[in-house]
Amino acid sequence: MFGRLVRESFIRNPRRKLLTAAALVVGMAVATSTLTIALEVGDRLAREFRSLGANLLVTSQSDTLPVEIGGVDYRPVNEGAYLSETDLGKLKTIFWRHNILGFTPFLDVPTLVSGSTVTSTTLIGTWYQHDVPVPDGTKFKTGVSVTHPWWKIRGQWFRDGADEAVIGAALAAKDPDGFAIGKTILVTHAYEADAARTLVITGIASTGDAEDNGILVPLSFAQGYSGHEGQFRQLFISALTKPADTFSERDPLKMTPTEYDRWFCSPYISSIGFQIKTVLPGTDVRTIRRVADTEGNILSRVGTLLWIVTLAALAAAGLAVAATSATTVLERRGEIGVMKALGASNVLVAGIFLAEQLLLAVVGASLGFVVGAVLARGLGASIFGTPASPRLILFPVVLGLAAIVALTGSLIPLRRAAHFNPAPILRGE
Amino acid sequence: MFWRLLWKLLRGSGGRLAVAILSLVSCAMVVSALLNLEFDIERKLTQEFRMLGANILVSPSDAQISGSGAAEVMSENEVSAAIAALKEPAVVAASPFLYVVANTEKTPVVVAGTKLEELSKLEPAWKIDGDWKSSRESAASCLVGRNVARQLQLVVGSPLRLTYLNENAQFTVAGIVDAGGAEDNQIFVGLAEAQSLATLPGKISVAQLSVSGTSNSISNYAARLATALPVYEVRPVRQITEAEGDLLSRIRLLIVSMVILILVLTALCVLGTMAALAMERRQDVGLMKALGGSIGRIVTLFMAEVGVLGAAGGFVGAILGVELSRWMGQRVFGTAISSRWEIFPLTIVLMVAVALAGALPLRLLGKVKPAVIFRGE
Repeated sequence: MFGRLVRESFIRNPRRKLLTAAALVVGMAVATSTLTIALEVGDRLAREFRSLGANLLVTSQSDTLPVEIGGVDYRPVNEGAYLSETDLGKLKTIFWRHNILGFTPFLDVPTLVSGSTVTSTTLIGTWYQHDVPVPDGTKFKTGVSVTHPWWKIRGQWFRDGADEAVIGAALAAKDPDGFAIGKTILVTHAYEADAARTLVITGIASTGDAEDNGILVPLSFAQGYSGHEGQFRQLFISALTKPADTFSERDPLKMTPTEYDRWFCSPYISSIGFQIKTVLPGTDVRTIRRVADTEGNILSRVGTLLWIVTLAALAAAGLAVAATSATTVLERRGEIGVMKALGASNVLVAGIFLAEQLLLAVVGASLGFVVGAVLARGLGASIFGTPASPRLILFPVVLGLAAIVALTGSLIPLRRAAHFNPAPILRGE
Repeated sequence: MFWRLLWKLLRGSGGRLAVAILSLVSCAMVVSALLNLEFDIERKLTQEFRMLGANILVSPSDAQISGSGAAEVMSENEVSAAIAALKEPAVVAASPFLYVVANTEKTPVVVAGTKLEELSKLEPAWKIDGDWKSSRESAASCLVGRNVARQLQLVVGSPLRLTYLNENAQFTVAGIVDAGGAEDNQIFVGLAEAQSLATLPGKISVAQLSVSGTSNSISNYAARLATALPVYEVRPVRQITEAEGDLLSRIRLLIVSMVILILVLTALCVLGTMAALAMERRQDVGLMKALGGSIGRIVTLFMAEVGVLGAAGGFVGAILGVELSRWMGQRVFGTAISSRWEIFPLTIVLMVAVALAGALPLRLLGKVKPAVIFRGE
């Protein structure tokens, strides 16, 4: 009997159900897509923030004080300590190895260069795209293409290990004839004129920074030229991190073992820096505060904002559904009157209505989930370039949400319906 | 007659009207709050991005670089006059720097002379162990980078003696800077002190500016500054301006698409409620038609009803929405979001339009014969 009543109600007047169902589908679609985006945004935006470049800087702990102005180190080549290139593969063995997106070593060598005239400048040895052997046997491709994505090149980047060079834009502008693409230049040490080497210019790089006045060369060339085989001075690391909070700022040495584990297993920049320090002993790992703090601040702000907006979306969706279900119940006062006149108890009337609403909620939520997942894919693609993958874990959440709003929406009018006197309703008053 | 009927209608249908008003008000509230947020978010975010430090550099132009490695300098007055003359309110900080490689007792170190009071605005991300302030007040105090402090075993309060050629100067360490960059290897002193140490009065090696705004307005400002300072090179720091512009547009796109989703949803919500409300009026339409009312008049009457509802809901909702956006701004950015007056009429117009659209099905009822409605079909 109960089942038949519910079924009949759907078959007899499908149009009436359509309004509630449509509200449910739209509401739940919006809820699904906003939740999907909100869950994904932290990760995606953190990746976007890597366009700011490296957020960790590794130098030797025993290094003397660099005398660096405008990105050029004026120390003699033989002064200060160097780091060894062979250890770099270990960076991809730390706990958060997948969060290390890239790293680039730098070795600066002051030099004289002869284009049309002799100029004193700096050779900057680095990697553009270099295969770093990782202890597990794989190779990791990294270099300035990852850590310095804003560097622009006219022409080609040097090939790894070749005697090729990329000239800084400002330097090239000073001597457009001598420093043209395809030309050969001669580099010599100021103190040792006979150790000259030749380089072929493959491109002109514009970096918007000190490198514009230097010459970018493969790291191996700078090492051989300066006599520091396998060594470098500075390492820039770009790592995906979680915004710092008060917990991450604490001194790990003063944490309890459980706190320490939690800190170690969270991708805070401080814990990633700590892990890097353990695989590269003798180094000083510093957080590039400008980059890390800006990223952390904006990520946490946008995150909070998005959750508030998502809550607003959920509230609006809930209200829309509740309002439509309330009106549909109110519309059917005549039906309620007939049922009650025929001796139906309030519980039975409420049961029939709630069962109908629940059925609508399940159908609406399922449809809404599918529509929302498609919507989220589109949104993800337009905002971040890659579609946001649907999360099945959201389905029960959306289902529960739909049930709650559909039921609460009809509960208030049903409570009023319990007080209906059938006679005036049937009279049409 | 018209107004009396309208009044009756508004007071009439009890529960249904309450639902409609509730949904109108809350939707208007969300709409106005989100619109407020939308208009303000860019300004708020560009302010956040100023943590990245300088985004425009003024340096001696290439033509002047002799290539000898010796300090090339600019005139401090010329540069600061040009910056002041442009009267750009978006300039967060403008610091002149003079770099000198001075000797401490143990090792040579880069000394950066600058306006220390501007430095804290230029580099809000720096972590200072000690104090920004005391260095402004006393010319004899300095900030030292973390590596310098470690190498020279300096703590806050230590004395520090710097010599350059025949000049020397005595400072007290007021704070230790943790910047995570080249600045960790430098000592920051007042500009005048650095100039006298280097015997380069009135000269600077570089000026760093932190300008807030979109990447377009920043490059625009850089271009204007370049025209004002033709002998020097003015360039935006590419790392920062490019990434900032890109990130900003992505975050905006994110917020905008979420806001649009919610706007559509709220509009649909009001539309649904209004449509349901209108359909309930079938009996009234039938009665009025049977009594000889013209369809145009009947429809106008209902339109007026929902229009009033929409305007009232929009008005109350817009006021509540301003409060909501203020709370959101406080919660997210720590400062209130400034509300714009345009949002007010916009919200009301939007709500009236949606409410009227919801009442459109009534037009169809005009074609229905009264008898059919009265029979309850």
